[in-house]
Order: sequence, then C-alpha cells, then structure tokens
Amino acid sequence: MAETAIVAQGLRKHYGDTIAVDGIDLEVAAHSIYALLGPNGAGKTTTINMLTTLVPPSAGSAQVAGFDIVKAADRVRERIGVTFQDIVLDRDLTGRQLLDIHGRLYRQSAAERRKRMADLVDLVQLNDVIDRRVNTYSGGMKRRLELARGLMTDPEVLFLDEPTQGLDPQNRVGIWEYVRRLNKERGLTVLLTTHYMDEAEEVAHQVGIIDHGKLIVSGTPASLVSNEGGDLLRITASGDLEAAAACFRQLPVVQSAEVSPSNKQIEVLLEHANKHLAALLAASAQIDFQIEEILLSRPTLADVFLRYTGRALRD
Amino acid sequence: MHATFTIWSKHMAKFVRNGEESVGLALQSVLWVVLFGVGMRGMVGEINGSDYMSYVLPGIIALSALGGAAGGGIILLDERLRGIMKEYLVAPIPRLSILLGNAASTATKSLLQALVMLIAGLLMGAQLSFNPLGWLGAIVLLIIFAIGFAGLALAVASVSRTIMGYHGMIFLFNIPLLFASNALYPIDVLPSWMRWIVLVNPTTYLIDAIRTLAFGSPASLSLWLSFSVISIFTVISMWLALIAFKRSVRM
Ligand SMILES: Nc1ncnc2c1ncn2[C@@H]1O[C@H](COP(=O)(O)OP(=O)(O)OP(=O)(O)O)[C@@H](O)[C@H]1O
Ligand SMILES: [Mg+2]
Repeated sequence: MAETAIVAQGLRKHYGDTIAVDGIDLEVAAHSIYALLGPNGAGKTTTINMLTTLVPPSAGSAQVAGFDIVKAADRVRERIGVTFQDIVLDRDLTGRQLLDIHGRLYRQSAAERRKRMADLVDLVQLNDVIDRRVNTYSGGMKRRLELARGLMTDPEVLFLDEPTQGLDPQNRVGIWEYVRRLNKERGLTVLLTTHYMDEAEEVAHQVGIIDHGKLIVSGTPASLVSNEGGDLLRITASGDLEAAAACFRQLPVVQSAEVSPSNKQIEVLLEHANKHLAALLAASAQIDFQIEEILLSRPTLADVFLRYTGRALRD
Repeated sequence: MHATFTIWSKHMAKFVRNGEESVGLALQSVLWVVLFGVGMRGMVGEINGSDYMSYVLPGIIALSALGGAAGGGIILLDERLRGIMKEYLVAPIPRLSILLGNAASTATKSLLQALVMLIAGLLMGAQLSFNPLGWLGAIVLLIIFAIGFAGLALAVASVSRTIMGYHGMIFLFNIPLLFASNALYPIDVLPSWMRWIVLVNPTTYLIDAIRTLAFGSPASLSLWLSFSVISIFTVISMWLALIAFKRSVRM
C-alpha cells in the first residue's frame, strides 16, 4: 500500500442547499490512527460516507488504499472495513451467521471464514454469545460484533464512526484496545470519529477537527495541546502571596503569576510545570508563606476543541 | 452471482427460522384454496369443460405470487430503512445482485407456496394433466413471473419512505392485477373494454399458460405469446427496479 492510506482533495458534499462537507483536504498516513473530531452536524459522517463509497462526492476527489473512491469504488470496497454510526445489524440472525454472510459477500472461502471468525470472536470476546440471535445482545456486544464484522475481511483501512457511542467504560477501553492492537500488530490504518476527546487524545496518532464541513486544524494530539499554552499551577497558600508571586515572575520559565482576587491562591502559568515545580518552591523558600495545596492542570484536547469550534450549541 | 446467492440464502435462512412467516404463508395458501375454491365451486360448477377447482387453482397461485412479491419489497424496504443495506452497499458487489438476491428469495417462497396450494388443490379435487414437461414449463414461467413482480415491488420499495406508504402503493397495483385478469373468470364473460385491460395484465398470460401446461385446458392465448410477454415484463420491471434503487442509494 502507498505511504498515505487516505488522501482527499477538496472533498465536498451538499444536499440541496445544505452543505454537509465543504471542501476537505485530508491525508492519513498508512498504518496510523486518525481521529476526526467535530461538533454534531460538522460533517464527519458525511466525510466517512464518501470515503467508504457509500455516497458520491459532489466535488473533489479522494483515494483510499491507493484507489479512487469514485472511479475504482469496487477496488476501494475490497480493501476497507466499516462500522457505521448507528448499529446496523440484522437482529434475526445469530452473530455467527452475520459474520459468515459478511465473509461470503466478499468471496471468502469457508475455511478462511471459519478461521477469521474464530480469531475475531476471541478478540472481541463474544465466544459465549456468538450463536445467539443478535436481538438478545447488549449494546456493547452489538458494537463489538460490528467491529468484528468490519475486520472480517482483513481490511487495509478501517473506518469507525463513533464506535464507542453509548458504551460503558469497560467496553470503551476494550474497543480502543482492540483498535490499538490491530494497528500495532497488523499495521491497520484507522480513521475514526468520536466525541470523547480524552479517548481521541490517547488512541490517535493524528487528529483533525472539522466544523461546518471544513477541516480547521490537524496535527498530533501533543502538538495541538502544546499550542494551547502552558500548564496552570494553582497554589493555595497563606502568608505574603504577593511577594511569592513576584518571586515566581522572576523565573524565566514562568509566563505569568497572579494572585487570585480571593487572596488565597496564586495562579502560575508555565510550561512543563511538573519539571519546574521544585525550582519554583526553592525560589520562594525565603518568603513567608505556607503552601496548603498545589493543583496542576494542563490543557487537554477538549480545550483545543472548544477553542476552535466555540461553545455555541449545535443541532 | 455469489452475492445474489449469499443474499438469497440469508433471506431463506431467516424465512426458515422465522416460523411465523413460513407457517403463516403455508396456512394462508391452504385457506385460499379451501375457502375460496370450495365456495366458488359451489356457485360456478364448470368452466370451459374443466371443473372450477382446476380452473381457479392457477389463478390463486399467480395471485399469491403477487402477495409474495409485495413481501419481498417489504424486506428490501426494511433493510433500507434500518440501514442494513449499508453493509451491502460498501461491499464489492454489483447493486443488481442485491435486487436479484431479494427477487430470488421471493420467487423461491412463491414456488413453495405454489406447491402447498397445488397439494391442497389436488386434495380438493383439482385435476392435474399428466405432462411433466408442461409442469416444468409452468414452474419456469412462475419463477420468471415472480421475479418480475418482485422487480415492481422492489422499484416501489426503493422510492417509498415509510412502510405505510409502500403498502398504499402496492395496494394500488394489487387490486387491478387481481380483478382485471382471468384469474377468477374467463376473459370471454367480460365486456370488451375490460378485456383490453385484462390483456395488458401479465398475470393473465401466466395463468393461461399454467392452465394449458399443467391442467390441460385449451390455450386461449398462445404459449409463445405468454412466454414472451412474461419475459419482457420481467426484464422491464427489474430494469425499473435497478434504476429506482440506484437513485435511492446515491444519497
Ligand atoms: N442525507 C442527508 N440529507 C440532507 N442533509 C444531510 C444528509 N446527511 C447529512 N446531512 C446534513 O449534513 C450535515 C453534516 O451531517 P453529518 O451527519 O455528516 O454530521 P456529523 O459530523 O457526523 O454529526 P454527528 O456528530 O451528529 O454524527 C448536517 O447538517 C446534516 O443535517
Ligand atoms: Mg456522525
């Protein structure tokens, strides 16, 4: 496979007057995990629908696994696995029937299907229920079964649209663990969407934030977060707080140090707070003030997200 | 082809597993034959030299194939509305194979239903002519016909937005197909304006051909004509279904 698993140039989709995706350029390196983030209605699902050949773009082009999504849709389809935002399982079938039918649609031989099913059912831990009808499954089991189905044909690129939506913490951790393992062990490329920023920060190599159908910013989670500025130290103390703050400001690593209006806290902004905490305390050793509590907060992907997409509610 | 077969076998597996559907369909067939056939026989006696049960059985079989086609449309609509269709749409299979898989399972069910009706009909005194080649021909025609109407139902199912809307549309088709045909009465008893309508109804040709091939009544329409009409109808309706379906999934 090419070095870039997914490339999109000016990808656009409109429904009548609604512009769902407004010219997105995207590059996802092979063997990496890319998280597409964005508020409700931003255009994530529409983007995935185009990349998975479900809907044709109104303009622009894209290649997935080296093939054009319009001109070589079938080549793309052979090489991808997909799970959709809503659970789409035929409830009257058993988990095993469902996986088997999926494999047959992709012309897998009986032996191949048996082997894949055995491996995947193990991976997503559905051994006990795989011969039960899907309508008896819990939400978590259904999601795991969908993941197994998406992986059934050993895809090069896997698309996951909100795979952990509505799941308990155990299932969430489980799903990301499978994804990471497949990425590491088999070099699977993954494009996913999620509304859980902490999960994206942890699992993705690259994230892209889209809003109003446009990709606003992308990069590694670490680089995006570090652009957010330094860490914030909240030091609760008594004594001469103004003197302490003045003393902190002398240090080159400190960006700012202010006493809060309540006169009980100093807020210090600096980078790599955990590394410089000792120096901070040493510098203020001569000053008459007693520390009661120190809280360290660092910006997260959620802060980045809110800064780029604003706080207004979407529909 | 393999995708058509896969989808067919999926639908058949669900059909076999779903006792309500399969038993319901079988009972429905028996009831049709027994209640309708017996009731009408008391009133009519003989038509064109054959007893009414032999006369009406091909009609009832054709009409139940129409009902079966409507059921096939429901399956497609349900898969579309629930999103199950997306699994097929991102798979490397032709769109047509999705429709053919559905039509094939519909035709299979119609064939099974026809078999049940035939047995019930024979028990009720219908007279099958001994003509194995004719039986085979009748079966082939019934299959083509069932696929043709499945195609119409699939076209409607592709454009419907709700199950209720679909039912409304299908009902509109079913009534004239039932009464404007030779299913229940011979064409010559009809006024000439209605005869014309009956003659554009493909059901008429199927029923006449089955009567000729399997029950030995004299053909009032030529077999080749019937075969051609049914085949052309089926090609056109599947083509319509494909157009409607492709449009509906290009969203
Ligand atoms: N089939 C459609 N017809 C009309 N408008 C559509 C259609 N699909 C999506 N849209 C519109 O396109 C926009 C983007 O929708 P999309 O589903 O891609 O958003 P999303 O980022 O996946 O949102 P969410 O996080 O809620 O899943 C929305 O305004 C939506 O209303
Ligand atoms: Mg979405």
